[in-house]
Amino acid sequence: MVGVNPRPKSLKGDYMKKFKNSKITLFIVFLLPTCLVFSTFILYPIFSTFINSFFDWSGLSANKTFIGLTNYINLFQDSSFKATLVNNLYVIITSVLFQIPLGLVLALVIVKNNVRNKLLSIIYFLPYLLSTMAVGLVWTLFYDPYFGVVNNALKWIGVENWQITWLADPKTALIAVLIVVVWFYAPFYMVILRAALVGVPKSLYEAADIDGASKTQQFFKITLPTIKPTLVTSSILSIVGSLKSFDIFYIMTNGGPGTSTELVGTYMYKQAFVNYKMGYASSIAFVMFLITLLVSVFVKTFNRRRGQA
Amino acid sequence: MKKFLIVLSIVTLLVSSLAGCGNTDNKKEEQSNSDNESNGQVETNDNQDEEITLSFWYKDVGVKEEIYKEAVARFENKYPNVTVKTFQARSSAYKQKLPIALSGNDAPDVFFTWGGGWLKRFADEGHVLEITDKLDTSRFKDLAMVNCVNDDKVFGAPLGIDIGVVFYNKEIFEKHNLQVPKTYEELKSVMSTLRENEVIPFVLANQPKWPGSFWYMYLVDRLGGEEAFDKAFKRDGGSFNSQPFVEAGEYIQDLVDAKAFNDGYNGLPYDAGTARQLLYTDRAAMMLLSNTFINLVRKEAPDYEEKVGMFPFPTMPNGKGDENNLVGIAAPVWSISSGCEHPDLALELINELTSVETATEYSNRTGSQTAIKDIKTEDPVVQQLMDMLNNANNLQMVYDQTLVPELAQKHLETTQEVFGFMKTPQEAADEVEELAKKLLD
Repeated sequence: MVGVNPRPKSLKGDYMKKFKNSKITLFIVFLLPTCLVFSTFILYPIFSTFINSFFDWSGLSANKTFIGLTNYINLFQDSSFKATLVNNLYVIITSVLFQIPLGLVLALVIVKNNVRNKLLSIIYFLPYLLSTMAVGLVWTLFYDPYFGVVNNALKWIGVENWQITWLADPKTALIAVLIVVVWFYAPFYMVILRAALVGVPKSLYEAADIDGASKTQQFFKITLPTIKPTLVTSSILSIVGSLKSFDIFYIMTNGGPGTSTELVGTYMYKQAFVNYKMGYASSIAFVMFLITLLVSVFVKTFNRRRGQA
Repeated sequence: MKKFLIVLSIVTLLVSSLAGCGNTDNKKEEQSNSDNESNGQVETNDNQDEEITLSFWYKDVGVKEEIYKEAVARFENKYPNVTVKTFQARSSAYKQKLPIALSGNDAPDVFFTWGGGWLKRFADEGHVLEITDKLDTSRFKDLAMVNCVNDDKVFGAPLGIDIGVVFYNKEIFEKHNLQVPKTYEELKSVMSTLRENEVIPFVLANQPKWPGSFWYMYLVDRLGGEEAFDKAFKRDGGSFNSQPFVEAGEYIQDLVDAKAFNDGYNGLPYDAGTARQLLYTDRAAMMLLSNTFINLVRKEAPDYEEKVGMFPFPTMPNGKGDENNLVGIAAPVWSISSGCEHPDLALELINELTSVETATEYSNRTGSQTAIKDIKTEDPVVQQLMDMLNNANNLQMVYDQTLVPELAQKHLETTQEVFGFMKTPQEAADEVEELAKKLLD
């Protein structure tokens, strides 16, 4: 904060006095509950998961055998796990390429502040308010080959040949669930991106109009660059969310048919709660944590090197 | 003044954030105190005047839950100082909550399992009380007791038995002059007649993977007899990729090719019920499933019940298996947790839950037969099921409850993949055998 509040060096003594004063202590006191909650519910579980990953533990009994890095070694050789990583990659790509642009389009539609847009924004946002369980169950019914809305709608429009057994075919199951995921999460990005759009100074558009720039040019040269930080944050959120995906997939297909829609999340759940291999599941959890951390750091530094002056 | 405010804020914030932790600590203290008490005394019918609470966990709702609660009421009348606290959770939630409870401090005193491999898992970890000498096993049908025994030790008492049968629509069969098929060839000709008349032969809702497993299990049993699974499971000269297992997979793919099933069978969920709608609306004629289907029919489409008949799974060409063999599950199984403080009372509760009264109610009202001997039933459907069981030489317990959980999961996945032509029968069987070698040898 250079130039705003210059402190002459002689006032350094006052600063030390403040330290001994109760203000800083007051800050610490108010931060303490948050720190406690954070440590107990976030830091401690991560730490104990990390510890558990070095043990052969069923999760059912107190018998834990220390096996060092064996879980991790097995994980790197586990072809099922690698297949789930590939599926997660599909989810990430779909999220970034479809959820965010769709969110942006919706945001552009409702960016102006009027009654119609307020109403539309509520309607568009509804999917995100629903419980994932309800969404999963209802869409499973939508995809029913005989009674489902999707196939019957296709029949009604006349493209009967496009009727497929959405959730039953390993080739289409993942796509079918991803459609639901995009539908569910796009409104979230709509809200974030609308806020970003509103923050673009109108003067830039006015200047561009004077210079004779078309709306398309304005979009690509003014809007997009200005909201880029929000787009980057959205991408990170989207990637992290995709890596953690679980509920909609678990409800709609439970990893099936076979293992074609198995994600890291569902695979980890099965190791822990179906196969009773809690140690192994912990190692999966920790690897997920590392991957997510690395990706976030990578996206942030990549952006910093490119954008910031 | 400021210092006072600081101290006050610290105290308030700390107290409020610790308030939530208080309760569980108290509970643990109580429990360990009472543990000390009962350890000091001999395990007899003590504490006649003491207020005792037993916890009882189960997964069923509807008629079955009513029957359990009636048994609980009878038990509470006999032992007025005992209260039974019941807890219910649906299947998948139950599968998650029970293991956690058993390995923690508040294990339920009496709880439900499907017996077999899942119960064995808990017994191996020492969470289940052995009741070999305390339970009168002669009351129960032998075929059902098998499901509660691990290493010749008894860990539970069975109440019911469910078997897999083929349900068929008698009206549709009459309309097209079809006879109940006894062999595979007859079945295929029935199926092709149905298809010619635009009726789906079999409903299959295989998204949860276990409906398809019924097909696989019956095929293995009819082709290789009960020895096929027995030898493979006990590692007694058999394997999960021996001939019957591979052949079963081939027949499954043969059935799919013959258009036996509805479209999208591998993605159709069972619980949501759209598969059953195909039967209720006469668009499909048959379904292979456990007899619990009858209960659902009575709830969902009571008019359909008169159209429904049952026949046993047909014989297979060159099959070694006894045509009267059945695949099913002897469940519910009631067990006692090893940490139970009042094991004698818990045993009495189990005895009440498997008493003649409870069993009679069960066989009259739930559409399933019971595992207790010499119970008469008023329900004609249940009578038919009981006759099937009496004729049966062997009751194969469903694989996904008999095998250790990880192997069961692999079996379900690979069977679903065979159904979807995602793996060849040989590949699927090899995968299961490979994992079995790792886990069972």
